[in-house]
Amino acid sequence: MRQDRLAALLHTIRPRPVQFSGKALGGCLFSHYQPLTIAALGCAFASACILVGFLVIRPAWSTVTKAVLLLGLGVFPICAAAAGNVQGYERTKARAFCGNCHVMTAHRDDSDDPTSTSLSSRHARNKLFGDENCYTCHEDYGMFGTVLTKLGGMRHVWLYYTEYRNTTIAEAKETIHLLQPFPNENCMQCHSTKPKLWLEIPDHRETLNDLRADRISCASAGCHGFAHPNFRPARDATLDPAKKAAGTL
Amino acid sequence: MTLPPSPRVLSGACVLALVALGLIVWSLVDPRPIPVIVAMSIGQVLGTLSFVAFLSVVARDLRARHSLVEPKKAATGDSAQP
Repeated sequence: MRQDRLAALLHTIRPRPVQFSGKALGGCLFSHYQPLTIAALGCAFASACILVGFLVIRPAWSTVTKAVLLLGLGVFPICAAAAGNVQGYERTKARAFCGNCHVMTAHRDDSDDPTSTSLSSRHARNKLFGDENCYTCHEDYGMFGTVLTKLGGMRHVWLYYTEYRNTTIAEAKETIHLLQPFPNENCMQCHSTKPKLWLEIPDHRETLNDLRADRISCASAGCHGFAHPNFRPARDATLDPAKKAAGTL
Repeated sequence: MTLPPSPRVLSGACVLALVALGLIVWSLVDPRPIPVIVAMSIGQVLGTLSFVAFLSVVARDLRARHSLVEPKKAATGDSAQP
């Protein structure tokens, strides 16, 4: 138990290597796959040169100085922030980003496993989901869907650092649950429930109204099973035969 | 040598911008939740503050120049009248 806590703490505070998706080339990181990262770093470097130069040299307050400072304090930082924001936002969609919190490692590892037959892993092997399968399935759709999803993500980060940071993975399986049931609407973005082939399946046909009304979850034990092998919904006694037998749930 | 109207504010703006840029670079080279969130929140605020400070210095400078030019114009206008 103590070792688990220590491992969790180390996972949180340990410095990580620089995470470019490019290749190490001659000792330099060459990230040709991410032009926005290069643009942001270039703008930040140019701006830093101007600002440090100004602080060291203290040039006369002339029109040229103002123009150069406009570049150093305005144009370049705005470009760096814009490119950095877009890049950061894209990064937050990646499965590796979600797996940064140690309580998610079991889910991430399952999705990474090419031999896993779980719902999440099978979706991760689909090109449409790929490395962003967490985001694609858990994203809220609609006009403000992206914003709401990211706000929800901020809440996750807050809860992680305030409540679950020292939780062991074994404890996490028992204590961490979804805020709300996973909506079938997210599944129905791809599986519309309208094709003839889909409706020919008796279970689908019989439960159609309940599925569309979210009264039955697609990702439940009786249907397609839970998306993650380690997932255990709150107050679900059916998954823990020992507790069920003991009547503790 | 002409000095800026508020050298301290300008230096502060430069330092704030450097801190903001540092946070942005941190989030780019180490894209974990905390660096990304810090860069996209605190970094943005610091960067915006530094730019606003710079604009305020420039505006103050322009106002000072304008107020210097106006009395001169007034003076020349008075002397031109018979």
